[in-house]
Order: sequence, then C-alpha cells, then structure tokens
Amino acid sequence: SCSRAKDVTMPAKLPVNFFSTRSPVIDLFRGQLDYADQLRQDSEIVLYFFYAPWCGQSIAAREEIEHVASRLSDQVLFVAVNCWWNQGKCRKQKHFFYFPVIHLYHRSFGPIEYKGPMSAVYIEKFVRRVMTPLLYISSRSKLLDFLSNYEPGVVGFFEFNASPQPPGYLTFFTSALHSLKKDYLGTIRFGVVTNKRVAQEISLVHSGSVYLHRHANTSLIYPKDIMNFTAENIYKWALENREMFIRWLRPHGGKSLLLNNELKKGPALLVFIPYNPLAEIHPLLDEITKVALEYHKCNKSQAAEPDLQRLGDSDSPAFDSSVTDAHTKFSETSPIAKYPCCNTVVLPQWHSISRTHNVCELCVNQTLGVKPNKVHVPHCNFLEIEAALDSFYLQEHTFFQVISNTIECSNFLSFYSPFSYYTACCKTVNRHFLSFISSEKTIFQTPKIAFSSHGKKDNSQFSIPHIEDRNCFIPDLNISSTNITGLSCRTNKTLNLYLLDSNLFWIYAERLGASKSTHLKEFAAIVDLKEEVHYVLDQNESLVGPTLENFIKNFSVLYSPLKRHLVDDPSVPFHEEHVVAEVTTNTFHQTVFLSAKNVLLLYYAQWCGFCASLNHIFIQLARLLPPDSFTVARIDVTRNDLPWEFMTDRLPTILFFPHQRKEQSVKFPEDFSVNLPNLLKFILHHSSLSSSEPCTKECLHKESVLQQGHISHLEKEIQKLRSEISALHQAHDQLEAELSEARREEQRLQQQKHTLEKQHKTLQLHSEQLQATYDQKNQELLEMAEKLQELADASENLLKENALLRILVASRGGKQQSKDEIKESLESEQRFSEENDVSLTTAAAALEEKRIDNIDTIETEHNSGNRTE
Amino acid sequence: EERGPAGPGLSAPCLCHRERVRAMFYHAYEHYLESAFPYDELRPLTCDGQDTWGSFSLTLIDALDTLLILGNVSEFQRVVNVLQEGVDFDIDVNASVFETNIRVVGGLLSAHLLSRKAGLEVEAGWPCSGPLLRMAEEAARKLLPAFQTPTGMPYGTVNLLHGVNPGETPVTCTAGIGTFIVEFATLSHLTGDPVFEDVARKALKALWKNRSDIGLVGNHIDVVTAKWVAQDAGIGAGVDSYFEYLVKGAILLQDKELMSMFLEYNKAIKNYTKFDDWYLWVQMYKGTVSMPVFQSLEAYWPGLQSLIGDVENAMRTFLNYYTVWKQFGGLPEFYNIPQGYTVDKREGYPLRPELIESAMYLYRATRDPTLLELGRDAVESIEKISKVDCGFATIKDLRDHRLDNRMESFFLAETVKYLYLLFDPDNFIHNDGSDFDVVVTPYGECVLDAGGYIFNTEAHPIDPAALHCCRRRKEEQWEVEDLMREFYSRKKTKKFTLKRAPDRGEGEDAKDPKDASSEKAGEKRNSKKSSHSLLSCPSQSFNSKLAVLGQVFLDNT
Repeated sequence: SCSRAKDVTMPAKLPVNFFSTRSPVIDLFRGQLDYADQLRQDSEIVLYFFYAPWCGQSIAAREEIEHVASRLSDQVLFVAVNCWWNQGKCRKQKHFFYFPVIHLYHRSFGPIEYKGPMSAVYIEKFVRRVMTPLLYISSRSKLLDFLSNYEPGVVGFFEFNASPQPPGYLTFFTSALHSLKKDYLGTIRFGVVTNKRVAQEISLVHSGSVYLHRHANTSLIYPKDIMNFTAENIYKWALENREMFIRWLRPHGGKSLLLNNELKKGPALLVFIPYNPLAEIHPLLDEITKVALEYHKCNKSQAAEPDLQRLGDSDSPAFDSSVTDAHTKFSETSPIAKYPCCNTVVLPQWHSISRTHNVCELCVNQTLGVKPNKVHVPHCNFLEIEAALDSFYLQEHTFFQVISNTIECSNFLSFYSPFSYYTACCKTVNRHFLSFISSEKTIFQTPKIAFSSHGKKDNSQFSIPHIEDRNCFIPDLNISSTNITGLSCRTNKTLNLYLLDSNLFWIYAERLGASKSTHLKEFAAIVDLKEEVHYVLDQNESLVGPTLENFIKNFSVLYSPLKRHLVDDPSVPFHEEHVVAEVTTNTFHQTVFLSAKNVLLLYYAQWCGFCASLNHIFIQLARLLPPDSFTVARIDVTRNDLPWEFMTDRLPTILFFPHQRKEQSVKFPEDFSVNLPNLLKFILHHSSLSSSEPCTKECLHKESVLQQGHISHLEKEIQKLRSEISALHQAHDQLEAELSEARREEQRLQQQKHTLEKQHKTLQLHSEQLQATYDQKNQELLEMAEKLQELADASENLLKENALLRILVASRGGKQQSKDEIKESLESEQRFSEENDVSLTTAAAALEEKRIDNIDTIETEHNSGNRTE
Repeated sequence: EERGPAGPGLSAPCLCHRERVRAMFYHAYEHYLESAFPYDELRPLTCDGQDTWGSFSLTLIDALDTLLILGNVSEFQRVVNVLQEGVDFDIDVNASVFETNIRVVGGLLSAHLLSRKAGLEVEAGWPCSGPLLRMAEEAARKLLPAFQTPTGMPYGTVNLLHGVNPGETPVTCTAGIGTFIVEFATLSHLTGDPVFEDVARKALKALWKNRSDIGLVGNHIDVVTAKWVAQDAGIGAGVDSYFEYLVKGAILLQDKELMSMFLEYNKAIKNYTKFDDWYLWVQMYKGTVSMPVFQSLEAYWPGLQSLIGDVENAMRTFLNYYTVWKQFGGLPEFYNIPQGYTVDKREGYPLRPELIESAMYLYRATRDPTLLELGRDAVESIEKISKVDCGFATIKDLRDHRLDNRMESFFLAETVKYLYLLFDPDNFIHNDGSDFDVVVTPYGECVLDAGGYIFNTEAHPIDPAALHCCRRRKEEQWEVEDLMREFYSRKKTKKFTLKRAPDRGEGEDAKDPKDASSEKAGEKRNSKKSSHSLLSCPSQSFNSKLAVLGQVFLDNT
C-alpha cells in the first residue's frame, strides 16, 4: 500500500518521571547512565532497573520493584534507568531486545542479570542471595540443615585464624556469585564453614577445600589437582556433579522449549504448590522433597525389595512399558464408573517345550449398576467371571496364535447379559515371569463400547486355559505394599519430578484438569507426553507426602490402577437448554448413549473456521427434527477430552448414533458438503425410524408418535409459511408503497413534462421570431452593402473624374504658364477654374459623410445580430 | 507484612483494558467527526482532515461496525443515515480497486448485515436488500471495469466515473488481484447477481495459473501479459490478503478448490520461506532468499493458521513476532531478522492491526495469557507513544517514536476492534453458535447471527449464514421439505443420495452414500495421501494442554 508524503511530523514526547518522586527508587528518566555508574561506587549492592516508559512489562514490574525497594532500601541501592529515550546515554550505549532488564552488582562483580519471575518476592529473594551469596555455617546443626535441603549444597572450608582472608576464599565467594549469574533459579547453594570441627563432619581437613553434598551418591570434594581453582570451574564442577531429584520449572514467558525438553525425557510428575521464596519454612515442600529423595535413593533399597528388584531386572524389560502402552490406549474413565472384575488367564502353551506363555487379562465390564462408594467394595460375581471365561474360551483362538511383544486387546460381548462385555488383553511372556504377574494386583478399565466383536467360533484344539487369579480390586483401595524408597530404579516407568509455583503457573494445573473453583492451589499430575496421557491426584485428597507416594507407586506398578484423566469444560452448564445440545466429557455418555433418541453429534472447536461457519446449518437441522426422537448435539473437543475410541483427528466430524444401535455409529462422509439436505439424507439413511417389519402394537404406537411428530412438524411448517406470507405481504406492501410513490413521481414528471413542453414551444416561437428579425436585418445589411458598393463605385468614378479634372487643371496650368505674356486675355478663364475647384471639394465632403453613416448602420446591425443568435 | 507473589501476567481478560480500548476509540472517533469529517481521514497533528483513498468519508465507513461491536447502537444508526445521504460514488476520482473493495464495499456489507442487530428498521427483503447493500453494490459496480482485462486480473486503479483511465499501468500487486472473493461472493449471494463472484474467482484462478514451478507467487504482475514484474515471494506486503482470502473464501463458501490452492501454497511457503518460525522473502522461481526481513504486515499469518487448525506453528511464529514488539513498542514495517533491527526507510508503525488480530484469533484457540499480555502492551504503547490531543498519530520512526500527521482508517476499523475483542470474550462476535436469530424473509425462514463471522481483511465481519439466506435458498428449502415428508412417511420410498461437493465437477450424480464414500475413499487413496476433507482442521495434540506461557513443543513426527 502506498502513502502520501506528509510534511508535518512531531518528535516523541520528552521523558517524564516513571517512578514517583517519593519512591525509594532513584529514577534516571533521562537515561543518565554515566550518573548511574557513579552512583554504583557508593554502594555495595546495586540493582539497576532498565525500563522503557511505553513498555507494559516495565509498567507491571514497576510496582514490584518499588515493593522490594521499600523493604531493602537501607542495604541496596535501587536505580531505575530509562533506557529508551534516544537522547539518553543509556540508549546510546546499551542495546536491549526487551524491557525491563534488571542488573545487580555486588561491589564490582556484575552485572548479574535477574531473569526470574517479575514478582516482588522472587526479586527480593534473589537480591538477598546476591547480598549474601555464601551462607555462614557456624555449627553442626546448621550444617545438617544446610545439607538436608533438596537443592544441591556446596560447602567451602576456610580457616580465618591465620589470615583475615584465607587463600581461595575470594575465589569461592566469586564462584557463588558466578553461579547466580548463570543459574538465576539459584538451585546450587553455597555455604562456608570456618570451624575445623564442623568441617570434619564432612571430612574436610584442609582450609580451602570445597565439598559438594549428594544424597543418593557419594559426596564429592573439589579435585584441585585436576581442575584449576577458579570461580567458573567450581561452579561448573558443582553443576555437572549435582543431584537433581526434583526441580523447579519456571517458564520465563518467552518462547521456550523448557517443558518440551523436560517432558520428552519421560513421564513426569508435576507438583503444583503455592510457594513463597521468602518464607522461613516450607513444610509442604519439605514433605514433597522427602518423597523425591526417597524415590531416588536407590543403593540403600536394593536388598529390601527383592520382588520389585526382580521386576527391574527381569529379562523382559519391554514388558512394563508395553503394558503402559496398552493400558493408556484403552483405559478410560467413564461418567458412570465401573469397577470391572479381572482375571489373569494363562493360555495353553503353543509348544509344550516353549518357555513362553500367552497371558491374558480378562475383565468383565458392567455398564449398568450403581457407582459403589469408597466404603463399599464391589465383589466380583463368581458367575460373571465364569460366564466371561466361557465366552473367552470360545474366542481365545484369536489370542492364542499371538506371540508378540505388544499387548493385544479385544472386546467381546457377553452371551448372557446385554450389559456386560469382556475385555481380554494378551501378551506373550517368559514363563518364569508369570508368578510375579499373577500376584500383582491388577485392574483393567476398558471402554464400554466394543471395538469389534469376534464372530468366528472355532473349536479349540488346544487344551483349556486356566485361571491364575480370581482376585478383584477397586482402584481407590489399591495401596501397594511396595516401598517408595528407591522405586525410581526398580521400575521402568521412572518418573521425573518437578515443582511448579501455583502462584505463577496455576494455568498449567488448570489445563491438566485442576478445579478452577478450589482456593487451595495444590495439585499433582503425572504427564506422559509420549503416550499422550496424564493422570491426576484426586483433588479431594490433600496433597501430602503419603498421598503423593501412593500416586507414584500406583503409577509404577505393572497394571496401574490410575485412570487417564479426561479434562472437561466446567463452564458449560448441564441444564441449560440449547437448540443444539452442548455435550461435555461428563455428559457425553448420558447424552449420546443413555438417551433413547437418535443422536447426531458434531465434534467441533471454536477456533476452527470450518466448524464455526456450519453453526447455522446445525441450528436449522435441530429446529427441523422432532426433538422427542432426535438430539442434535455437539462437543468442543478442545475443552473436553474423550476416551480414545471416541476421539477424532479432524474437525468438524459428524457422527450419527442411531437409536437402539448406538454402538453402530456412522460418520458423515467427509467428501460431501455439509448442508441441510445432505445431513437429512444422511440421517434418513441411517436412522432406525422406519422399519419393514409387520406392525405390532408397539409399532402402532410408534407410528402414532411418528404421525404426531409429523403433525407438529406440519403445524410448524404452516406457522413458518404464515410468517413467510406475512413477510411477503410486508414486502408487497412495501412494493405497493414504492409503486404508488413511483406513480406519483410519474405524475409529477408528466406534469413537468407538459410545462416543459409549453416552455419549449414559447421558446421555439421566440427563437423563430428572432430568426425572422435576424433574417430581416441580414437582408437590410445585404442591401446596405449593395448600396455601399454602389457608393463605392460612384466614389471611384468621382475620384477618376477628380483625377481627370486634376490632370485637366494641371494641363490648364501648364498652358497658363506658357501664356504668361498674354495675362489680360486669360483673366476670365482663371475665374472659371476657381469655381470649378470649389464645386469639387463640396462633392467630396458629401461623399465622406455618407460613408460614415453607412459604417454606423453596419455596426448596429451586427450588434443586434449577435444578440438574436 | 507478607505478600504473595504476583502472577507473571494476566490470567483472564481484564475489563480495565477493555475500557481503556473503548476510551481510545472515542478519543479518535470524536476528533475525526469534529475536525476531519467528511474527509477520508483525520490528520491528528494538525487537527484537520484529508482525502486519501477517494472521497468517501472513509474513516466513518470503516469505523461503523466497530461502533456496534462497542455496543453503541444509537451512533451506528445515526452514521448509517449520514452515509446514505452523504456518500456519492459518482465522482471523478481515481480510486484503488483493492482499498475501495476492502474498506468501502466490505464496510458497507458488514454494516448492512449488522444493521438489524443494531436495531435499525430493516426493509422486508433484508438481508437480501437494503440501502447499505445497494450502496455496497453500487461501489462494487464502479470497480467492475477494472476486471476487463485479457487475463481477468484487475487493474489496480479505476476512475469511479469513467472506468479505467487510458494509459493506466497494468501492473497490480498480487493482493490487489486476489482480495475480492469474500466481499464479492457475499454481494453475489445477497443480490443474486453472479457477476461479482465470477470476476473474483476468475482473478483468483488467473493467479493460481501463473504461480511458479515451485508453487510460489511474486509481488506484482502485469495484468495484461501475465508476466511477473516483482518476483519476491513471501507472505507479507503485496501478497498477504491473497492467501488470507483463499482460506476465508474456502470457509465462507465451503469451497474445497480455494482451500486446496491455499494448501499447495502453504506447502511451498513452508518449504522455501520458513526459517526458524520466521517467514522470509525468496525469489519466486528459484526459492533463494532475497530479503531476510519480517514485515509488520506478515503478522496476520498466525491468525490465519489458527483458523485452519495449525495452532502450534501459529503460536511459535507469534512468539517470534512478539519479541519484535517488545523491542520497539510496535512493529516496524520491515525488521531485519539477522541484524535484529529496523530496515532503513521502513521504521514506521502506522498503528497496524495484524499482530493484535493474530492475538485475538490465537486467544480463542489457546486462552494463553501471553496473548492478553500482547494486548496490554499494545494498549500501553499506543497510548504512551501515539496519543495526541486530536487522536492517535502514526509512528513515523520506531527508533525514536517520532510521529507522523496521519491516522489511517484501519486504526478504528481494525486495530481498536481487534484489541477490544481480545479483551471482551463475551462479545457477540465471539458467539460460538449458542445464540442465533431467526429472520423471515420473502425467500423463507433464515437462521442468522449464529457466530462464525468471517472478518474481511479490513476487519469487517461477514455472517456466513447470510449467504444461505437469499435467492438460492428456495431450491434447497423445497428439497428439505421433500425430505421431511419422506422422513415422516412410514416407509422409505427413495434411496437417499448425497450431493457431492460442487468442486468435484460431478455435482449432481447420485449414488448411495455408502458406496459413494467407500469408492471415494479408494479413489482418494490413489490420488492423494491424505484422505481427510480439505475443509477441516486437525484436532489439537495432547501437548497443546501445556503449550501456554511461551512453551512450545517440537513435533513428534
């Protein structure tokens, strides 16, 4: 696009105070960087706040900085510098890509950039650490405190007896500052011991030695002989060798791969707690970090848990993870919780000499029944299991031939009850492994709707499989007897543990399904990015050490009782009536499967352009179909998770669930355009409304209902037609009005035409008259011209005559000269010639007068001619 | 005294910001009325007006629907009356075909479609007739002579009275050719005259035909000879709204052909111009980088991506662009990516809307507070930097924030509108389909205002439902009536056949849907890798749950 050149411009407004004049922060709003440097000389600790006055982040951070300054102004100098104003020194010397930038100086050391959250408590904590980068450890108990912390601790031993500043101390001090520069989270803590006896506790003997404490592995002493004793090296050494059992995640808000990188390492436990870095004690944090330390304490637990150890060492390492695969793929929560009974069934061997077994997990799922409460433990009906086994035996050949490392699952309907179905997941395992599996407490949650039922019935030529275990469990009571200590090394589903401050990052918790209403911002979730699944710790349970332990343990066991968490949209009120019913995770089952109607379900997302432009079509459809037998519903799948088998990978997707055959849902073919006729045809084709069976009583009833529907439809149609007619009438009236207006207009125009014609005629007449006068005048003019010509001719003749006369006179004169001598005789002749002269001049004057007259008439003629034209 | 840490940003749209945006609007709008009307634009430094793109009181037309979005019904009604009386297109003015279309035709169309919502007494045939529609049609007819070229691609400039001037340059930018389908198709559907949609489609197809072997289009083309005059390919200035209208046209018209064109371009753009979530400029035939710059105008791209479901990539690119804003308090027209600084003579920021537009779309998709932060930054910057006594002035140079004597009409039409919508999630424009209106027209009953508004490239919303309301409606209604009769009869007498999407060129052939779909699937497998419908978005991946506050995830594939 082009723009025109414009001359008027205006320079930017002059900078003004950013901080109030009463603020403890010195505001160099003209960007006087030189003065800022000067100020630094007088103060031990200085914080620079480089801002741009237009910048939202700077404005938001201003208040936080002011708050910190009000608390620390006696020890720290706070200097704010406008680093935007282009006349200022700061802008000329520094080149920032974002604002605000916070730099800290500890005497001459710096700048240490603060990159943490722009929140007063975090900033204050950081400033305090810059003020005292080394913690002075005076006693044994303080040392123990220091070392028991979950964050890595580095201790230096320096004897101050000999000299005021023992060798190496400054380097150690600088390395503590250096670590703040590199690691703004400040995870590595530095402490200093001056007492020899305290130092001995960690077997430091020589002054100048540096010690890195580790919980699970042996602690280390800085290898002075291998590495130079420099600040950078000490920090690097600590960083490389530190233990990280649990770490804080603090996304800075800019584009970052932090979560991507951490979560791709494997399943992760994210613990959200409100955290105040300034608080003296953090009881909850201590509890959580204790669990984390225990979880990672591997070497101490090896002997204690032989069973689990065997699991870890089993020669089928892929097994655990593949179970998770299968589990996560098929396990679901459902709106009405079911607690299936499961049995492990070992199939007969493929070859008798084979060292492998096919092991199947067989579960009975009931779709009906009341949800048991926590106290009531539902018991597996023995008959149910028997029935399931019977069905299974008939189907088992499908599993029988499977020898694979993956788990294969299949669902089939019960022969005995229409409300139950069975799920079997099978897997080939090594024989010696079986004993373990069978003793593991397991549960297997499966989807309610069959994927495909196996139809073939084949008489098995193999021996009958046997049941290994008949225990039934419910997940809430599944508290494994295994110990958390060292679990991370004994399971293949090792978790990485992370902490997030829920004051800052609660949004992630909400995304994972944390209740928005809760005021207590505590939450824990296990996220498995690879499996695209996550589990949450029941928010009704308080987040304490034991519940967290159980959560971890339940995740780690072979058949995890944890259920994939489905996030739903709580903002949709269930009872609100819409023409198009809004379905959520929680209402999905009820609306789609339990209702006795045909259901057309649209999967959509609000942001997807192709979905939103179809709204009107679905509204029309819903208004058209009889509401007592049809539901038009939709689900926003961005905000509502669904069990895998109901998920779709494209939006919009339209599914039709016919009444009485809900499991046989059909998908609207993607290649056809979504419009009202097509949708109706699609529904008509698949709906079960019409049947060709002979009419029974029920059918008659149906028929009458149908006709009732038809009647109401027709009534609606009539209503619509009436309103259409009235609209047409309106339009007609409008047209009528416009027409009459137009007619009036025509009338007026006609009249105007007449008057115009009259005027035209008079004008015509006028012009004819004028033409006539013109012609007449023209004629006169011509006549006059003729006369003029005549006169001109006459005058020419006269001139000729005149000339002749002159010649005559001249000749007479000549003759007179020659006849001088004879004067007397010629006197009479002379008189005559004088008389002749006079008569000639009068004639010429008369002629002249006439000519002027003539010209006048021509001019007046010409003027009048002009006017007529 | 203890104090909990404050969050790093805004977790929910703050009404305080919404109200600040409202105040911004009225500051600019009232000064325009006071000092500049009936000129096209306000000159904020000299407090007077000037004609820029014609002589249509452009700012007023452009700001009209913003008034309604801000809820000012009475002023909307007043302005509609003013425009009906005051605007004349029979004027001897050379006007940009592109700008007149997006600002004037688009503005009038959207005002026409919103006028019932604004409480105006509409005539019986509405939305298929009405004074604003007639004005829009008149303005559009003035542009039609520009399309009379051998290629069907329009001239860039047309005289509203005399048509194309003799000696008019035949060089038009790509966007000037491909940015008509939204307005013109709407006009055709409402008025029943197919000529508008036809010329717009013809122009789009001509561009498609002239793309390079590697699937890119250049910047400027000769509309007579179809030779590319400027061969820089990118997504920004000169091209931008062409791509935008392929997508928006596809959504508005449920048109697979337009979408398949876009997807092909999208592939080439990703292949040749995308580096580290930036989009550069390349030579359209060779694909070599010609300018490593980011243009302010390119910032619409993430919003467009979010409309078709590419939210992850959109967010990543958006975060790149946001860093540029943070550096300057606005987006320079050109930003040299490797140097990390502005480009000479291109340091201005005329208060463009594109980044804010993307933030609004992305906020719909992700609810990421980062997007509200951009909104907050924009409010602060615009107020602090460009607010003057008479309005808001274009920033001439982002390096020192010198101001220019201009306030483009898109400031009130787009920038303020998108900002307001970002902070007002309950605005009717965001209607997700839970509300709607039923209008009875002489053509039958019509469901309108059910959400899904398509913004034209000047942020004038078009209700897609309105396109199904007028002339063509009758046939469909009869068909539906027949089907409903069938529905209530006890036995099915017919086999039901679905109509194929029109672009397949076999529209009317009737087959059993089951056979058809299976056959279609087979056919698809042979011809194309993806079997899904072109008119659909992918579902969001699992990690999108955590992709907020700047976190991005790398593709697993």
